Amino acid sequence: MRRLFGLETEYGITIDGVDKVDVVEESMQLIRCYQRGDFVPLWDYQLENPRRDERGFEVENLLNDADEKVHVQRDRKRKIPFVELKSDLIIYNGARFYNDHTHPEFSTGECLGLFELVAQDKAGERVVDICARRRTEMLDMGTVRMYKNNTDFEGHSYGCHENYLMDRAVPFERILAGLLPFFATRQIYCGAGKVGVEREDRAPIYQLSQRAEFFEVIASVDTMHKRPVVNTRDEPHADATRYRRLHVIVGDANMSEYVTALKVGATALVIDLIEADCLPDYRLENPIAAMKNIARDQTHEWLVEVEGAGNRLVPAVEIQDAFLTLARREFAGRDQETDWVLSAWDDVLEKLRRDPMDLVGTCDWVTKKWLIDRFCDEENLAWDNPDDLFWMQSQDLEYSNVDRESGLYYLLESQGYMVRLVGDDEIAAAMSEPPSGTRAYFRGRSLEKFGEHVSSINWDRIVFKNNGRQHAVDMKSLVDAERVRHYNDVLDQAETLDAFLQALHKVERSLKEAGDG
Amino acid sequence: MDKGLQYERRTKPVAPGGPGPGDDGDGGPARPKVERPDTRDLMRRMRRVDPNQARRYRQRTGE
Repeated sequence: MRRLFGLETEYGITIDGVDKVDVVEESMQLIRCYQRGDFVPLWDYQLENPRRDERGFEVENLLNDADEKVHVQRDRKRKIPFVELKSDLIIYNGARFYNDHTHPEFSTGECLGLFELVAQDKAGERVVDICARRRTEMLDMGTVRMYKNNTDFEGHSYGCHENYLMDRAVPFERILAGLLPFFATRQIYCGAGKVGVEREDRAPIYQLSQRAEFFEVIASVDTMHKRPVVNTRDEPHADATRYRRLHVIVGDANMSEYVTALKVGATALVIDLIEADCLPDYRLENPIAAMKNIARDQTHEWLVEVEGAGNRLVPAVEIQDAFLTLARREFAGRDQETDWVLSAWDDVLEKLRRDPMDLVGTCDWVTKKWLIDRFCDEENLAWDNPDDLFWMQSQDLEYSNVDRESGLYYLLESQGYMVRLVGDDEIAAAMSEPPSGTRAYFRGRSLEKFGEHVSSINWDRIVFKNNGRQHAVDMKSLVDAERVRHYNDVLDQAETLDAFLQALHKVERSLKEAGDG
Repeated sequence: MDKGLQYERRTKPVAPGGPGPGDDGDGGPARPKVERPDTRDLMRRMRRVDPNQARRYRQRTGE
């Protein structure tokens, strides 16, 4: 692909036999299980500002729900310093692993390759799983279980966010025009599936998406309350005059490797279309209602109201196909991964038209539905019986259990039934090896090689301390492939920190003289 | 900091699934060559899931 992207996944946490898990304590402790040694805070929070909006302003406060405000008040009494609570770790693979709003979050390093991203995302699952095993041993209470899902079925949602670097010059209206119809409808193949509805009528039905019912506005900078279909947080972690970081919060966390690749790949191609000002002519009458209706539609017709003469109903598959057709026309043959995405996208849409159940083993929502339906048949469970519904939700939860010996997704995978895109060896390697050719490599390898000299770190800056002096490396420009290659080469060749900093200085100076600095 | 975590368990190789990098197959991505999973194992495992697991599972709002 021709774009930097990454995934951030917040995990759910519970302990067998414990009715009320202290998620603040457990999330913090789980992350610390990654290390054998003491926690040393390195993350540089000064460069973060989630209140800045892409539309050119900054809000005074972010909206949190009332529940969250009560929790924040209570947590103040714990007297745990902020950096201790966050427990931010940076892993040699370039990822950030930390406590985000009481959820262990694994944020992959920046990737250029789609299958590389899948391996990094799965490596995050493995890291979380190992930490859960260590925490289980430490606690001696019950098994610590970690879930890669997005809800507790009681109205508390947490995210799996996607990040895509894109051209700052693209007008925001065009971004909205492209993303609203695409995001409202892409859940037909990348939804994770959910038993039940958590808001309003609490209907006992199966939904395509875990997250769809939590979105209330078209665009805003918020992420926890009144969630927007298009999040406008403006933290590019790159040169802000040239780039935006599209921070996508509408997606579900996926277990399926295939869906993770298709979700990110198709979205990256749609961003390519937006940048090229080449979009299908669909404007949804109400994107938020469309998203919720598609998730709840038991007929699988997924009709969406689009603007136009006398408003008309269009199947979500047709809207997705319009994006696919343009992407194929513009980008087919560009590179292998692009062709894979075009082929996978086409295949999935064809099966959704014919019979969605042909996607058992491929798409999460379909596979989970198949499992739940079989189980209901076996056990004579009824959707309108609240106790039965809880059991079904428990199965839903277990589908996303990252323990490969007990999770339902992994039981299917061990039987060879889930489509695989990366090997277990690649995933194991990705637990400590950063993605190639990006600044994630520079971040991860810098820590591995000169970690004892790193005094702070963030996505776009590393500060080394050397002989009592600080040397800050600004990585904002390391989104350019050629430039990052120079930096990574210098890092690979240096044997000492002095040699590394001197060589880096030379590279920075020569790039500046060449007009690239 | 640890020198990365090593996965502490043996892994079981699985049959290759749909096309991955390097695959230039002419059709769409294929499903693994298994007609239907072994439902006996699955149902046995699903019966062991605590019916109240979801009822107890309470999280805080995240992002």
